Amino acid sequence: MNRGLIALGGLVVIVLIVVVGLSGTYNRLVTLDQAVQSQWAQVESVYQRRADLIPNLVATVQGAANFEKSTYVAVAEARAKVGQLNLGSAVPNDPAAFAKFTAAQDALSSALTHLLAVSENYPDLKASQNFLDLQSQLEGSENRIAVERMRFNQTAQAFNTARDTFPTVLVAGIFGSRFNEKAYFQSQPGAQNAPQVKF
Amino acid sequence: MRVLHWPLLLLMLICLGATAPGEVAIPPSPTQWATDTAGFLLPQTVSALDDRLREYEATTGHQVLLYVAPTTGTTPTEDWTVRAFAQWKVGRKGLDDGLILFVFSTDHKVRIEVGYGLEGVVTDAASAGIIRDMTAKLKAGQPDDAVTIGVGEILGTIGGEATPQRAAPATSATYAPESPGDADTNPVDVLIGVLIGLLVIVAVFVLIARIPRGSYISSGGGGGFGLLGLLSMGAGVAGGLGGGFSGGGGFSGGGGATGSW
Repeated sequence: MNRGLIALGGLVVIVLIVVVGLSGTYNRLVTLDQAVQSQWAQVESVYQRRADLIPNLVATVQGAANFEKSTYVAVAEARAKVGQLNLGSAVPNDPAAFAKFTAAQDALSSALTHLLAVSENYPDLKASQNFLDLQSQLEGSENRIAVERMRFNQTAQAFNTARDTFPTVLVAGIFGSRFNEKAYFQSQPGAQNAPQVKF
Repeated sequence: MRVLHWPLLLLMLICLGATAPGEVAIPPSPTQWATDTAGFLLPQTVSALDDRLREYEATTGHQVLLYVAPTTGTTPTEDWTVRAFAQWKVGRKGLDDGLILFVFSTDHKVRIEVGYGLEGVVTDAASAGIIRDMTAKLKAGQPDDAVTIGVGEILGTIGGEATPQRAAPATSATYAPESPGDADTNPVDVLIGVLIGLLVIVAVFVLIARIPRGSYISSGGGGGFGLLGLLSMGAGVAGGLGGGFSGGGGFSGGGGATGSW
């Protein structure tokens, strides 16, 4: 019996097993990564749904007599900023792009909140069917955004947990930025801008 | 005086603790189409609506439920209802064409939770219109009318068109939540596990056949790695089972509308 041949055979089997084990781990990361990507697409689509309502909303409040101009101009500007975001597809992998995305969307959220609050002072507007429909669509959009953000965080957490757990973290390391940790949405938009206390 | 106050204070604290509104857990899936856990509606209203919604599902396939409860506790209404919808797996798998009309009698809240598959039909604006009609009746102290009108308008909005039928959908078995993860076990993981197992067996046989008696060094090494491989396979399957969120039937994306009275 040739000892060299035995060692070679053993080595081949070991290498094969390692390769198969690696590919299993890799595939699992890919599966979880795809789940995050598809959930991200959901998040983008509900934000887009909200953005699509804005031209109609602005037109409607413009039609109301003496509607405070600065409020709808602010909404239109925030909407334009969201439209100018050009972040590519890997936003969940890129904390900087993710922060830019959420900042622009949160700015639009607060402009919209302000506009809806101001609209309370216009009873004629509040009574119009068009405005009522828009308001319910906006509320629905905000709720959808909350739901899809929550689900995004869940899929991102599933990925991050798998990625950072012991044997997998070595595999993730091999592939560099392909398997970056995913960013999370903050539970409360604007919470990171807590007012600073000065003494 | 002071001595008397202590037990009283204790009692008050206990009462506060007992009645403090906290998290209200999502109850298990309802077993009927119309459920009133709050005693808010007349029993005959509930049973009439139950019959109506069961018939509706039998003819159209759309699962529309009515659920009346006292409160969602400290949880925001929309948050509670979207989770209940997912947990109960309302609607058909893959179609997500269910809808739940929620009434929270103590909270004075109405919510229409629309499955993904019905979002195009029961739009937010349509839901809000239905809710406005309902809250008008609820404010007037006519809960039975309000809910009957609401259900009628919802069914009218979805319409009675025949949709692809599945065999015998009209039993309560329709609600039976599928065990989470069945759909999510990655066949590739299993295949890899089988492959690893085969490789280990082949490796063991090859080594046993080749190695002269008394020399176990390389077979020990191979076995060790085989074990590692099997362990990682187990982890792969467990990971697949854990992500049971988006696989089941009946999801809503927060579509619909909420109203209060």
